[in-house]
Amino acid sequence: MMTNPAFAARTPVLELVAVHAGYGRIDVLHGVDLALHAGEVYALLGPNGAGKSTTLGVASGQIVPSSGGLMLCGRDVTGAAPDALARAGVCVVPEGRGIFPNLTVAENLRMATFTGMRYPDVSARAFTQFPRLRDRRRQMAGTLSGGEQQMLAMARALATDPAVLLVDELSMGLAPIVVDELYDHVRQIAAAGLSILIVEQFVHEILGIADVAGIMLHGRIEHTGSTTELADGLASAYLGGKH
Amino acid sequence: MDDVKPPARETMSPSRLAQFEAEVTKMRVSGGGANPERTAARVGIGLTVLGFVVAFISWWSAYNAGTFEDIHRAAIFALIGVGMALVGAIIWLRNSLTRYLRYWIIRLVYEQREQTDRLLERRDNGH
Ligand SMILES: Nc1ncnc2c1ncn2[C@@H]1O[C@H](COP(=O)(O)OP(=O)(O)OP(=O)(O)O)[C@@H](O)[C@H]1O
Ligand SMILES: [Mg+2]
Repeated sequence: MMTNPAFAARTPVLELVAVHAGYGRIDVLHGVDLALHAGEVYALLGPNGAGKSTTLGVASGQIVPSSGGLMLCGRDVTGAAPDALARAGVCVVPEGRGIFPNLTVAENLRMATFTGMRYPDVSARAFTQFPRLRDRRRQMAGTLSGGEQQMLAMARALATDPAVLLVDELSMGLAPIVVDELYDHVRQIAAAGLSILIVEQFVHEILGIADVAGIMLHGRIEHTGSTTELADGLASAYLGGKH
Repeated sequence: MDDVKPPARETMSPSRLAQFEAEVTKMRVSGGGANPERTAARVGIGLTVLGFVVAFISWWSAYNAGTFEDIHRAAIFALIGVGMALVGAIIWLRNSLTRYLRYWIIRLVYEQREQTDRLLERRDNGH
């Protein structure tokens, strides 16, 4: 899969090294190691409260680790501002709906111009990827269906031409058929070669798309492996492991 | 979903990757959990207090001064103190205000989100 000779050494595009982090005095992550390679789709799985969103927070610079580090392309960028990371190309689709409900679809997309891109480029890119949004561009984002709202959040993230995409629980609160549709989009995005770190609570949606998966329990990544390897050990990890 | 292995895919275009690497190299890293605004707000408060102390000391030395020359000197010193206090207050205001405004705008966004949800819920329940 690694075809780029410049990256033959497989320096991960994004790496967390022994990260400890939390909120105030509460420690949530107890030494997380995670490596996302170029063009890879990494599925981070785990039950509620395992620390998945916190991990994404660290990866996007929103949470500064109390120890350990965040590396991009081998460079230590621990403590860099989240907007600097976003401008460099690390983009987040947050949990729930990362949109402004009282703005129209078009206005939401306009928010993506912060990286210095022009709005026509942003919208063209968004509407080719998600044609459904084109007809609704003057609609208030809050009145879109849940799936469409997630599409908008993804469209906005992708419009900035990110190098790394971090996605938090795309499937939350959505019907399976909508989730399938969203993951078809993710599959297309992945095929274009973007590096994606995607968080899910349940496994089935994502195993067909991801190259690597990690299972997070109690603030640590307890298992990593190819998705096929993990599919077997997964039930035991959720049910029997570590309790 | 089905567990089919994904089709072989290309890596992110080398140019985009190289660009990303370049951006990362350029990135300024302050390191640690430094919060520049909170630090600046504290510096502002410190400067204000220091300014008042300087002004007070000047008043004290003017009070105990023997000559007009000393009083003039103390007055100038007091002005410096007042200036420090003013600058400190402005620094504090600027940095605590942006923090507050940011917090406020996030609150607004969340409130709007909740309101829209409630509205849609009512509509969908056919009220
Ligand atoms: N802002 C916060 N302040 C304090 N504690 C928090 C905060 N956010 C999360 N936590 C705590 O950190 C732990 C991990 O939360 P996190 O959101 O990372 O879990 P998660 O794996 O994303 O779970 P979920 O699947 O429910 O989204 C939880 O125990 C949670 O209560
Ligand atoms: Mg979460």
